[in-house]
Amino acid sequence: MGESALPNSEEQERLLDEALQVVKRESFHMKRELDKNKLMDGLKHASDLLKELRTSALTPKNYYELYMAVCDELRHLQIYLTDEFQKGRLVSDLYELVQYAGNIIPRLYLLVTVGVVYIKVKPGSCEAILKDLVEMCRGVQHPLRGLFLRNYLLQCTKNVLPDTCDGEQKGDNGDKGATIQNSIDFILLNFAEMNKLWVRMQHLGHSREKERRERERQELRILVGTNLVRLSQLEAVDVNSYRKIVLNGILEQAVSCRDPIAQEYLMECIIQVFPDEFHLQTLRSFLRACADLHPQVNIRNTIIALIDRLSHFATKDDGTGIPNDVMLFDIFSEQIANIIEVRPQMKLEDVVSMQTALVNLAFNCYPERTDYVDRVLEATVQVFETRNVELVMNGSHLCKEMCELLQVPITIYNNILTILQLQYFAPLYEHLDYQSRKKIAVNMVSNALDHNTVVSSPEETDLFLMLVSPLIQDQADQPADIDEEDFIEEQGLVGRFAHMLYSDDPDQHFQILRKAQSHFAKGGNKRMRFTFPAVVCASYSLTLRFKEQKEEDAAWQKKCQKIFETCRSVINTLCQAEYSELPIRLFLQGALAASELEFENHEAVAYEFISQAFSIYEEEIADSRAQLAAVMLLVSTIEKCKCFSEESHAPLRTQCAHAASRLLKKPDQSRAVAHVAHLFWSGCTQETDKKEMRESRRVVECLKKAIRTANQCMEPAVQLQLFVEILNKYIYFYERGCTGITVDLLNQLIAKIREELGGLESSDCEVIQIHFDNTLRHIQQLVENSKEKDLTNDGEKLFEGILL
Amino acid sequence: MNFFGFGSGAEIEILLDGADKRKKVEHKISENKSEELSVYYDGETVSGAVSISLKPGGKLEHKGIKIELIGQIEILYDRANQHDFATLTKQLASPGILNQSKVYAFEFPHVEKPYESYFGSNVRLRYSLKVTVGRRLTDLNKELEFVVHTLSTYPDTNTSIKMEVGIEDCLHIEFEYNKQKYHLKDAIIGKIYFLLVRVKIKHMEMHVIKRETTGTGPSVYHDDDTVAKFEIMDGAPVKGESIPIRLFLGGYNLTPSMRDINRKFSVKYFLNLVLIDEEDRRYFKQQEIILWRKGDVPRRQINSAIEESTQRFGA
Repeated sequence: MGESALPNSEEQERLLDEALQVVKRESFHMKRELDKNKLMDGLKHASDLLKELRTSALTPKNYYELYMAVCDELRHLQIYLTDEFQKGRLVSDLYELVQYAGNIIPRLYLLVTVGVVYIKVKPGSCEAILKDLVEMCRGVQHPLRGLFLRNYLLQCTKNVLPDTCDGEQKGDNGDKGATIQNSIDFILLNFAEMNKLWVRMQHLGHSREKERRERERQELRILVGTNLVRLSQLEAVDVNSYRKIVLNGILEQAVSCRDPIAQEYLMECIIQVFPDEFHLQTLRSFLRACADLHPQVNIRNTIIALIDRLSHFATKDDGTGIPNDVMLFDIFSEQIANIIEVRPQMKLEDVVSMQTALVNLAFNCYPERTDYVDRVLEATVQVFETRNVELVMNGSHLCKEMCELLQVPITIYNNILTILQLQYFAPLYEHLDYQSRKKIAVNMVSNALDHNTVVSSPEETDLFLMLVSPLIQDQADQPADIDEEDFIEEQGLVGRFAHMLYSDDPDQHFQILRKAQSHFAKGGNKRMRFTFPAVVCASYSLTLRFKEQKEEDAAWQKKCQKIFETCRSVINTLCQAEYSELPIRLFLQGALAASELEFENHEAVAYEFISQAFSIYEEEIADSRAQLAAVMLLVSTIEKCKCFSEESHAPLRTQCAHAASRLLKKPDQSRAVAHVAHLFWSGCTQETDKKEMRESRRVVECLKKAIRTANQCMEPAVQLQLFVEILNKYIYFYERGCTGITVDLLNQLIAKIREELGGLESSDCEVIQIHFDNTLRHIQQLVENSKEKDLTNDGEKLFEGILL
Repeated sequence: MNFFGFGSGAEIEILLDGADKRKKVEHKISENKSEELSVYYDGETVSGAVSISLKPGGKLEHKGIKIELIGQIEILYDRANQHDFATLTKQLASPGILNQSKVYAFEFPHVEKPYESYFGSNVRLRYSLKVTVGRRLTDLNKELEFVVHTLSTYPDTNTSIKMEVGIEDCLHIEFEYNKQKYHLKDAIIGKIYFLLVRVKIKHMEMHVIKRETTGTGPSVYHDDDTVAKFEIMDGAPVKGESIPIRLFLGGYNLTPSMRDINRKFSVKYFLNLVLIDEEDRRYFKQQEIILWRKGDVPRRQINSAIEESTQRFGA
């Protein structure tokens, strides 16, 4: 009957089945004898069915099934005996009689069954019997059988354990009744014995079956844990007796058994079964015991489980919270430090994940105490120093845990400014490799954006931008190839973040922007495209705020001037980085801003900015599509700038017309020229008193030139498209009263379009046809409107004579 | 049948005084048969009456009527070796003729009954009363067996048995039994302490062995009988484990230890501690204990019953 050679599963089933059959048969006989009141014969059959539990051939699972079946039958016996006793048919020697059973397993099961009946009917015997049962069970040293026997003992005594402090259940002879102390002693001893048996399983059999044994042990652990559950159910155990007796007893056993599986389970079990109030008062002893556990025990899970429970307790709604006299954080902090110190073999990732839990605890229990969080980070940094950790590689467990730890303050506070207050955040974060640092940096920036965290001082700006430096500038350890898409996304975030740099005080804001600019300037060409525009735009809007304060701030003009100068040089940096379209836009935006601002030198600034834009256009932009876009922008900007004198405006207009007519492609030319027409219509100068100049003649010239150019297009569809577009311009200006545009002119163009449309295949020009029809419908609408107006207004009729 | 005008028409019966109140025990009278017999103690008077019943109108001529009290040791393998260690005789009637049934009272005052009745495998020690009606041809006999219990008082010295035994580098145990002398309803309380365990023990048993010794010198003969077999441990203990023993003797068929009874035989008892390992090797240690008979006590109360039935060593 070697322990190691358990039969295969088929054989197992057969064996179990046979055993169950015997149990059933013997139980039948037992009940029959009991019905006839033949107690001794009944006990004989009970003993026979119990003999089945002597087997060594069953796996723990199957043994459990058998055990359950046997327990069912014993319950019947127990009920019968209780009944007999209560009827006064007392068999005083019964407790002795069952001890004649020759085999120890049946003997002890019967003894337990009878013993519990004694306790029920003779409470005075409780103490003696409990003690006797738990001691006598020592006779079963076989782990599996012993565990189940003692489990039976525990189950049977469940409802008879004394649970009072003063022993109110008086014995017959005025004996001192049994008290809670008896229950505690009883369970603690049973627990210790069960734990020993459970641990012993590990050392049975061949070493190649280690895995199976460990699995089986895991299956059986609940049997051991039930002892702790039972202890936790004793109501008379208060914090004091828990600390002095119960916990000490458990920890002593847990620590001394030197078995990793048992220790891990028991510690976890303690945490789960006893109330939080108890844990709070016994933290030190518990954590100290943790430090003494076997090196293989993953203490981290235990600590984290405890921290999580207490964190949860602290944040419960019932308002109890952590008592003031419990220095929860200090205790954890000091004990965890101790654990780390005495367990040098503990993996760093486990150290870090404990610290993560601790940070969570600090926040949950003491949300105000950011210094607590910082202390945890500091402790972590120190561990890294002690263990000489330099760089944490991406993808390692440690890296994952570190990121989690660093992520916690970001997520709990949702305020990057609080992060800046943590002295040890950065030093810890520095240990990460590039990828991870960047990830954390992205998270911080996103967090600021998501929670609208405004950074409102140059110092904070400085600190923060240094912290997220992997996003701001190239890093010594960054890889050669960088994912372009990710990069764009990250830089987009940084660009957005630049707008979170803000102070209500414009001067302060200016300082902030300069600080940011100086950081962004280190980012190199590929980053400035994202970051500079943000700074420039923020600067433009800052000028507006200066203007708003012009009453209080005499120097506002100078400040604006300064800002524009700064912006100019920033934009020029972008030019040097060979971005061309972006600087044009920024210059033009600047010109618009300056134009609105009306500070002393604003016309010059606006002019300068526009001319800068022109020169970039001329020198840098080669792509025809970009050229067209730039011309359009230039034209629109100049049209909107109202600050120029005619002297400045005229060359700009001319320049635009010139640029438009020099575009390479005819359609581009045509469109640009048509667009320039607006300059002559709604352009404003100082001389026109900032009103539209409405130079009808020049407008018509432009449009006619556009038509001429369109005529030169070879592609009929393009040409037609241009005609429709120009028709729209005609109508636009006609409606606004441009006298040079007559209905004749419109009719001609309409007729021309019609003619051309007829000559084209409908599939080519469907869109054009729709555009055209819509245009005509627009006219139609206006005509009808003006007819109605006629009744009241004697004005000139719109589109009179138009041929639709 | 009654060719001679007398004969088996006479019935002899022995009636013991106070028989209905006297303690009786089930006692083996042959290999397969036991009977309820009256119990007498040493020095107790054995008295009663012999009744001789005749058929109406019958008569019995006899050469005298006597009653004997006999204590006898019988060694089974040697039929010839029957030895009466006690014989007391009382004459009940002188030779004469009985014309009617008659009852004769008898009394053996303060009879010395030094030994306990015993029914062993090779030895029997019996007490009986025997009535003989002397006749010319064949005597008429009637015999009544009774049982003698020898009571002892509580032993003066009764130290525990404590011993460390073992096989070097293999198994070391220390066992301790609470007494050396146990009365027949006693419980053996003890413990086994494991000092060193290098064998895979499967279980441990405690046996009570009765050793009957007959003969002397070269012809001495032992007969061992395991009267009780009691498993006290299941599974393999580890070093430091202490296993309790509690074995109630009352349920087994035991006699007091007997030493050199009439120089014919002895009965000794041993406790045998047996450890069986996984290869079914047995390791054992035998230790003599003395059993003695204690006077009957009144029935126990439940509380003392609990107390007695939960005794543990060192508790």
